[in-house]
Amino acid sequence: MIPYRKTTLDNGLTVVVNRDRASKLAAVNLLYKVGARNEDPARTGFAHLFEHLMFRGTRDVPDFDLRVQLASGDNNAFTNNDYTDFYITLPRDNVETALWLESDRMQGLDITPGKLETEKKVVIEEFRQRYLNQPYGDQTMLLRGLAYRVHPYRWATIGLTTDHIASATLDEVRTFYRAHYRPSNAVLSISADLEEERMLDLAAKWFGGLEERPGAAAPIPQEPPQEEPRRLEVVRDVPASTLTLAYHMGGRTSADFYTADLVSDLLSNGDSSRLYRRLVQERRLLSTVNAYISGDVDPGLFVFTGQLLPGTSFDAAEAAFLEEIEALKTGHVPEHETEKVKNKFEANTLFGELNVMNKAMNLGFYEMLGDLELVNREVARYRAVGEEAIRDFCRRTFRPENCSTLLYQAKTTE
Amino acid sequence: MIQPPPTIPASVEVMPAARRTLRNGVELYTLASNDFEVLRVTFLFRAGSAVQQVPFSATSTANLLAEGTRDLTAQQIAERLDFYGSWFDVSADRDCTYISFCTLSKFFAQTLEVAEQILLHPAFPEEEVAAYCAKRRQRLAIERTKVDTQAREAFAQAMFGPAHPYGVSSDEKEYDHLTREQIAAFYASRYTAENCFVVCSGRIGDEELAAVAAIAEQLPQGGAAAPVRFPEPQTRRELFVEHPGAVQSSLRIGRLLFPRQHPDFVGMQVVATALGGYFGSRLMQNLRERHGYTYGVVAAMVNFERAGYLAVATQVGTDVTADALREIYAEIERLRSEPMPAEELELVKNMMTGEMMRILDGPFGIADVTIENILCGFDNSMIDENVRRIRRMTPDDVLRLARNYLPREELVTVIAGAKSPFDEKL
Repeated sequence: MIPYRKTTLDNGLTVVVNRDRASKLAAVNLLYKVGARNEDPARTGFAHLFEHLMFRGTRDVPDFDLRVQLASGDNNAFTNNDYTDFYITLPRDNVETALWLESDRMQGLDITPGKLETEKKVVIEEFRQRYLNQPYGDQTMLLRGLAYRVHPYRWATIGLTTDHIASATLDEVRTFYRAHYRPSNAVLSISADLEEERMLDLAAKWFGGLEERPGAAAPIPQEPPQEEPRRLEVVRDVPASTLTLAYHMGGRTSADFYTADLVSDLLSNGDSSRLYRRLVQERRLLSTVNAYISGDVDPGLFVFTGQLLPGTSFDAAEAAFLEEIEALKTGHVPEHETEKVKNKFEANTLFGELNVMNKAMNLGFYEMLGDLELVNREVARYRAVGEEAIRDFCRRTFRPENCSTLLYQAKTTE
Repeated sequence: MIQPPPTIPASVEVMPAARRTLRNGVELYTLASNDFEVLRVTFLFRAGSAVQQVPFSATSTANLLAEGTRDLTAQQIAERLDFYGSWFDVSADRDCTYISFCTLSKFFAQTLEVAEQILLHPAFPEEEVAAYCAKRRQRLAIERTKVDTQAREAFAQAMFGPAHPYGVSSDEKEYDHLTREQIAAFYASRYTAENCFVVCSGRIGDEELAAVAAIAEQLPQGGAAAPVRFPEPQTRRELFVEHPGAVQSSLRIGRLLFPRQHPDFVGMQVVATALGGYFGSRLMQNLRERHGYTYGVVAAMVNFERAGYLAVATQVGTDVTADALREIYAEIERLRSEPMPAEELELVKNMMTGEMMRILDGPFGIADVTIENILCGFDNSMIDENVRRIRRMTPDDVLRLARNYLPREELVTVIAGAKSPFDEKL
């Protein structure tokens, strides 16, 4: 349970605060509602590139990291398809240092041609290292391209190609900054042992003077329903073949979300889960197996993936996945089994609320979703999923015409 | 707007651990905090590899505790813990074995039932022992094909000598000879009241405490309590492990110093941090940013129960190995010849203070730090004392410590790689 208070400043910035009486630290999280899904299809990878630029200094503060370190702080950031998140933890008494730095870089960023060139190189190296020069590095990229035809989820956060990053111009970067890095497109969340009132006052002190730049994010093209099965086979120089099945499902706030999450846990959370027990341990078809949901804000994917053991054909692996799916559609799910994943979900949620950083980050995330109260209702929502909902979800979702299948074939050596 | 002046906490207060001594002498420490709905219980045994007679018996005992007990099979244990969403974690280092259970408060009793089986009634079934040994032998063999593992093992050997309990590394074939009797014997002699203490943290009330005590009180007395005698370390200054065809060399540079109880330990932590303890550190600036020799380099003080050492670790391209070594020696020498600029020292101190506070955030972090303090014979007021010591450090102190402890001729250098750099002038 994370108690909180929330307010919106006149310039549109949403502020959420949590008092943590046990911690000596303050966590300051600033979430911008911009991710890879807001990118121009001809300029993918831009949101992530921009996250890097946010550390390159402003007119008033040329050395962001140093200021954080001098205040005994630690900071980092990440970008995904839906949003960009910046966070700082530091001693509680220095909370204003974090607020100063974040308010400063919301509008004062100093982007020069030199800095842009340097950061482009860094990001292109990251692209090469993590996606190109890495076994299975392009697998999720291929899957996105197969499952999505219209929605920007068809590209990964790093982008479609290094060319898009290389050709980003200073003008484009500045336009992006103005369009997305503004008070009403951001959520500030703080967790610390401070009076809630005091934290709200400090937020107003440091962010209240920022000017709101009017603007609205362009609507995101939504994916039409998939109407026939899709298949892609590629050959790569990897040690073992993998098979992936991806089905379209509802978005993060849809009624299906918790059912899907629970189904994925039944299938592959832990050594006693269905896929691991049946396909890895008993039938010895796969060496590793996973079922997961992408968890995106817009309608996302329910993914089955497994690494084939040398004697296993794609057909056999696919048939095995389909058998497990059939068992969910028609069979019985014992209460003991659902109770197990529900207990695990609750435990992991509570273990995740032990420090100020996670709490501030969670508050920002749920506010971005538009349903802040959900932060404290997740366990109940997950616990409420029953056997009928599971069967119904599986029947509606796991249909051949809703499926994208990726056969990632290991190059044979002979 | 203008910068708010950062204030650096002059002190870092941590709650003291409440202590009670059980009938059999086991000390039970509690860090209760009702802000959380979870709790953790850690049983610590002085049963690390330094006190084993048979190679690999210490880690094998620890890792096999939950693989079958008097009343439960390995699978039943896994299923039960899984069902309650509880975490079980075991690890063994040179000195100790740590066995932790994390659970939601509402499933405490059920989790503790399993804990009792694991701690008091492990069966070490023959077939589980055999499967474990085969798997570990293979894994260790694979690990030892990496230059980094080779350098780490060789560095311990170079500092302490191949026969010293902190320096020895055994052939992985020894796993083939390890028997369940040897493991059971290690368990019987080391998992005893004399060698144990317990730390509970999170939502722990009288009832929970009594339940933990009831288990700990069943630990038998009279095991091997006498400390194993360690020989004097036999240090070698240079050691090269040949790894034909390696594209990178793994480097370890450092020296044997002293354990945490020594008055200069904290000061040397400051020296190590400035040298290689953060992204902007001197070695990182030099080797990575300026020369591009490496992706990363670290320096740190490492603490064992009866020893402590400073180590620099990095991996660099084969062809720049000698150059990188020269730069590392030069950076160490610079600490000994030029006073550290006041701003740099201030930055290091502030970061170390912040890092300490981050480690202490949350009930489990406090428990980890408490365990380390108990092992060193300190109580939790030591954290504050250490932070004060860090804050008192001056550029002169840094200079004095570096001069005292890091002369070139005392440094131990270990390389695992394709080509020995010791033939060149360094």
